[in-house]
Order: sequence, then C-alpha cells, then structure tokens
Amino acid sequence: MKKVFDILPLAIFIVLLVVLFSFLSEKDDQLETALVDSSFPEFSLFALSDDTKILSKKDISQLPALINVWATWCIACRVEHPFLMKLKNESTLAIYGLNYKDNRMKALALLERDGDPYEFSIFDFEGRLAIDLGVYGAPETFFVDKDGVIRVRHVGVVDEKVWENKFAKYLDE
Amino acid sequence: MIPEIGHIILISHLVLSFIGGTLPLVAVYTKSKYFYIPVKKLSVFLFMLILMSFMILVYSFLVDDFSVAYVSQNSNINLPTYYKFAATWGAHEGSLLLWILAMNAWLIGFIFFNNSKDEDYTSTVFSIACQVMFAFSLFTLFTSNPFERILPIPPLNGADLNPSLQDIAFTVHPPLLYFGYSGLLIPFAIAVAAMLFRKDIKEWAGNSRPWTLMSCSFLTMGIALGSWWAYYELGWGGWWFWDPVENAAFVPWLLSVALFHSLIASESRGVFAKWSILLSIFAFATSLLGTFLVRSGILTSVHAFALDPERGLFILGILAFFIIGSLLIYSIKDLENQPTHSYELSSKEFGFLLNNLLLVILAVSILFGTIFPLIYEAITDGKQISVGAPYFEIILFPFALALGLLQGVGLYLSWGSSSSFKFLPRLIIESISIFALVLIILFILFDNLYLTSFATIFLFSWILMGTLQISKKRNLNYWSFLRKRAAVTFAHLGMAILTLGVAVVSSYSLEKEIIMAPDDSIEFGDQTILFKNTEEIMGPNYFSKSATISFSDGSNSYDVLTEKRTYIPSGQLTTEAGIKTELFQDLYISMGDNLEANIWSFKVQIKPFIRWIWLGALLVAIGSLLAGIKRVRRV
Repeated sequence: MKKVFDILPLAIFIVLLVVLFSFLSEKDDQLETALVDSSFPEFSLFALSDDTKILSKKDISQLPALINVWATWCIACRVEHPFLMKLKNESTLAIYGLNYKDNRMKALALLERDGDPYEFSIFDFEGRLAIDLGVYGAPETFFVDKDGVIRVRHVGVVDEKVWENKFAKYLDE
Repeated sequence: MIPEIGHIILISHLVLSFIGGTLPLVAVYTKSKYFYIPVKKLSVFLFMLILMSFMILVYSFLVDDFSVAYVSQNSNINLPTYYKFAATWGAHEGSLLLWILAMNAWLIGFIFFNNSKDEDYTSTVFSIACQVMFAFSLFTLFTSNPFERILPIPPLNGADLNPSLQDIAFTVHPPLLYFGYSGLLIPFAIAVAAMLFRKDIKEWAGNSRPWTLMSCSFLTMGIALGSWWAYYELGWGGWWFWDPVENAAFVPWLLSVALFHSLIASESRGVFAKWSILLSIFAFATSLLGTFLVRSGILTSVHAFALDPERGLFILGILAFFIIGSLLIYSIKDLENQPTHSYELSSKEFGFLLNNLLLVILAVSILFGTIFPLIYEAITDGKQISVGAPYFEIILFPFALALGLLQGVGLYLSWGSSSSFKFLPRLIIESISIFALVLIILFILFDNLYLTSFATIFLFSWILMGTLQISKKRNLNYWSFLRKRAAVTFAHLGMAILTLGVAVVSSYSLEKEIIMAPDDSIEFGDQTILFKNTEEIMGPNYFSKSATISFSDGSNSYDVLTEKRTYIPSGQLTTEAGIKTELFQDLYISMGDNLEANIWSFKVQIKPFIRWIWLGALLVAIGSLLAGIKRVRRV
C-alpha cells in the first residue's frame, strides 16, 4: 500500500503530460484550418498604389490566386519576397498582396526597389480585412481556388519546400 | 563576426554543462579519481561563458546589428538606447539566455555558500543543475538561437520592440521573474540529491531553505511589478486578470511559499521529509510548466509573445525528462527510515501542515483552471471555453480566508506539544478594535461602507495583530528584533497590507465611461474632471495624441496626461493612462476613441488603496529575501 502512494505522484504527472502533449500535437492544424473551405471575405479598402481607388472582392478577378499578407516592418516577408518574384515570373498564378498595418510610402518604395510580385496590393492600415481573415502576423499566405474559396492557409514564410508540400497539389486540381 | 563568437561561446557552454552534468556523477558512483573535476571552478567558468554570450547579444542590440535576426525583430534604430539594452530579453530567445544566466548565478551561489561537508552530495547537486542547464542550452541552440543571422542581405532597420514592453517597469519585470523561476532549480537539485544519498532531512532542508526563500522573493517582486505594469500600461485599470501567464507565475509562487514553510518544520523537527521533496519537485515542475504554457502558445493570452508549437514540444520534453526522472527516484527509494518527532493537533507542525494543504489546494485549483480549457477543448473536439475571473475568485476566497486566519495564530503555535491558546481572547479583541478603526477611517475617507469587504478587512486586522503582538511579546529590543524577527514580521505584515489593499480596491473602486470635448468638465466621486486640451506629441519612435486632464477636489487641482501612442515602426497603438497617485487612492484616466472632431471618450476610475497591494507585495519580497540572506550567511 505504501508503495502505491509512492508511485501516485508519478502517475498523476504522466497523465498531465499526456494531456498537454496530445493537445500540442493537434493545435497547429486547428489554427491554420480555421478559415479553410470558407469563401474569401468581402472587403472595401484602398489600393496601396492609389489612395483614391477603392478595391473590393470582385477586383480579385484572376482565380485561382494567392493572397499574401506582407509589410515592410516584417523581416520574414523580405526572406519570402524572392520566392514570390520567382513564382510570378515562372507561373501563371496571380498573386495579390495584402499590405498589413504598414506605411504607404515605405511599402511603395520597397516594391520599387525589390520588385513587385503582386497584381495589386490592398492597403489595410487598420487591419480590417486581416481581422476577417484571422491573420495573426505577417507573412501569411492564402490559396483561393477558382470558385473564390480559401483552400490553404500558411502562416510563415513560403519557400520551395512549403510550396511543394502545401500548395502545389491544389494548383494541379 | 561578433555574434558568431557569442554563438560559439553558447556552444561551449552547452558542451561544458554536459560535462558538468555527467562527470561528477560518474566520479561519485565509481569513486574514481580520474573523473574528478573541480566543481567550484567549473561553475564559475560556466557562468563566465553564459555571461559573455549574453553580453554579446546586448552588444548586438546596442550597435544595431540588424543582421542578427533576433535584433532585427526586436529593435529599431530609433529605439531609445535604454530600451535597446532591455530589448535583449524582450522576446523568447534572449529571455532563454537570461534564464540560463540566472540558473547559473544561483548555482554559483549554492556552490560557494553551502556548508555541507559532504562533497559527493554537493557535486551531485551541481551535476543535476548542470543537466538542467544543458537541456536549456540545447533548447536555445536548436529552437531559439538568438545569434541566427539574416545573410547575405541584412535589413536596414529592425521591426522594433513590442511597444507595450517599452516601459521601465516592464524591462525589470522579466529578469526578476526569471530569477524567481530559475531559483527553484536549486531546491529541486537538492531534493534529488537528498533522495539519492538518503540525506538526513534536517540537513538538506537547511541547505534548501535560503534558496527557496530567495526564489520566492524574486517571484514576488516579478509578479508584483508585472501587476503594476498591467495596471498602468494596458489601460484597463485592473491589477490582476487571472490571465494564464499570470497564473503560470502565481502557481510556482504558491508552491514555493508552501515549500519554505514546510522546510522550516523539516529543518527544525525532521518532519514532512517526503512532502518537502515532492514540493521541491513540483515547485520546479510548475516553473517549467509556466514556461511551457507561455512559450508554446497553446494558451491565448494578452501576454503570449512567442507562439511556436515546436518550442512547446521541446520544453515539454525537458519537463518530462526531469520530473519523471525525479519522481521515479522518489517512488523507488525508500525514504521512510528516518526518525521523526510526533506532534499533536494544535502544534506548530500541524499548523504548517494545514498551511501547506491550503496552499497546495489553491495551486492545484488555479493550475486546473488554467489548463482546463485545453482539456475541455481536447475532450469535446474543439469547443472552446474560457475559465475566467469568477471561477478563480470563488476558489481563492475560502482558501485565502482560511490561510489568513491560520496566519494570524500561526506564529503563536509551539513545536510538538499542544500550544496554549491563552493569547486568543486578546488577539480577538485587538483585531476587532483595529477592524472597527479601519471601518471608521474608510467611512471618513469615502463616505461609504461595503458589507462585501468586511471579511477581508477583518482578515487584515487579524493578520496584522497576530504578527505585531508576537513580536511585542518576545520582548526584544530593536536590534535583536531586526536580527531575529524582522524577516518574518515584514513578510507577514506585507500579506496583511496586501489583503487590505485587495479588500478596499475591490469594493470601493469607481469607474465610468465619459465623453468630453475640450473645456468640458464632469463630476465624478468627489472629483471634478476637466478636459483641458489635446496635443500632438512626437516621441523618439512614436507619435501620440495626448489629452491633458485636470482632477480637482475643490481645493487643489492636478494635471495628468493620457496618451494614445502610435509606434511608427510597427504601427501599433498603445494607451498611456494618466494617473494621479495619492496615499489612499489613485485617480486613473485613460483615453478611449476619438468620436468626432475633438470629442473623445475616456475611461475614468478611482482606485482606493491600490498602491497598498504592491506595497504589501514589496514587504513580502523584502521579508523573504532577508530570511534567505540571513540563512546563507549563517551557514
């Protein structure tokens, strides 16, 4: 009986660990799939390049498309930038930018300097569309299929590997 | 080049802590001279390495080396120099480095100031601590390397330090908290070594006490500063939110308080041997668990700065290895064969037992409330619930009440035999008088009495008189009072003052949403609030819209400034509350939204006695620090 009490703390602790562990392994899918298979939200925001032009969902006309959340303050976005340029040059897939909580002048200057992979960029200074998309940082990339439905969401940098694993198969469909 | 040196030094720390974590154990168990290493020198050397590595990271911040990814994510050319320095621990990677530094500092403390003649035992403690440091160095290097570079094209400027962290209190809060968390490593290592060598309980409890007390002191300061920061920086005027991250610090605090009380009984009377060991293990486990909860991002919280499942997994691995390992030793080793004193129901031992029971129940309930949403979500397949303040307050109240009542009489109890309760009538009369006095003062100050606060206010008087009377009864002169009773008196008085603060602020606070244009004035409580004007302010890395508000109680008026800041690099908004501090109350105003042209909404609050909460916490911290230092010097 005494021995049972000696093992009890260990047993309780292991149960606790298993619970935490099982949660951890599910977590990261759940976050990323929150909006998957729902249609791309409506919005009405100014264009980055032109502060008089109002863009809405129907301006995202070339489908399927990638929607890429970016900003000049986001270092990882610069890491991702060359890959987006390559994608623009090598494939027919349209890429739209969502410029997130950024400075307009700086953003335009960066595109001027490093190249512009986007058909156009939406200027979302207050993060309104970003909230609807459930964005929690930049970069984030969404794949929208030909019916305007979000099929993939990726948080973080998109590179060759991520592209092969997560995006390529949808493009083939 | 310099960051690479930092990286290499960190790798050497990893290698050396591995050696420190293995060789001394081999030497102890093989009794062979070949494996002998001088632990004193090694502990200093390890400390120098981690210190250099940390200083190099600080240097990278100070010289704006944005090719270092961590620097570019957390600093900016326009960031004021002091914040560049503090940005070193502004996010996950640097925090970890500081954490290892703190563990190393405690280890040096233990190695140099421990009085044990048993070298095998000392080097085993050293070795276990090194294993934990090794695990943390490994974690840092593999998942969170602060020296990682962005090459070949480094960014020209950084993303900036999270604006709500650009604040003096918040730059000091994390180091204090980390020193608190990591200090619990020493009692843990001592407990494991004590089990391995089947040490006499009185001896190892004496070794462990100073480090437990000092960690507890740092935790107290860290938590109190965090609470103060949240109060004026988040713009909500609350001082405790039952936020998962706050709970993650509160649980180890409760357990460390339980532990040092249990260690007093263990050292003096040789009782609670197994209990003290389990507490040492779980206090450390919850401090690791706290890191896990904060860093893995599995709990959403106002604080969650770094979200990364992979890191969570690694920390869980560290937790699993050390805690399962130590609990295995616990279940295998026979620890019962030590003689213990018997004690009666009204003895001091039993008092400590009750104290521990209550603290542990509190810790378990809070821990449960913190991770219950996770469990619930896992069982119900993704339904999310949140356990909020009501749950925690319902739990806290009865147990805290019982703890407070116990605290009032605790100091009178005597070891072993039944205590005499002759002091009780006098204590009751004195507490009731103080209770009445406080009510009168509150009535004079605020023209109101709230029944809901009576229990807590009585608790204040009870703890206060229980603490003061015993110090008086011992008939000590000032000098010997300072030497013998100051620590415990400070700590217990601190708890009393904190209780009073909580009692008053939770019942007497006033708050109101108001809408004003410049030159409008509004009556609130006994104050007249006048909105004087707005102004644009340009800071080093932010611009802000500010409002000057004047509080006036009829005879005096006082201006405060509340701001809505936009930090330029990140575009983030923060609210700076305008606070006028008086001894008995805070007048608190925070700017809300710009409704039209120059019409603004404000949230205005009167927070009576709120300072007393932090004052009380400060006394607790001073008391436990004194107690800890006193014991280090005695050995």
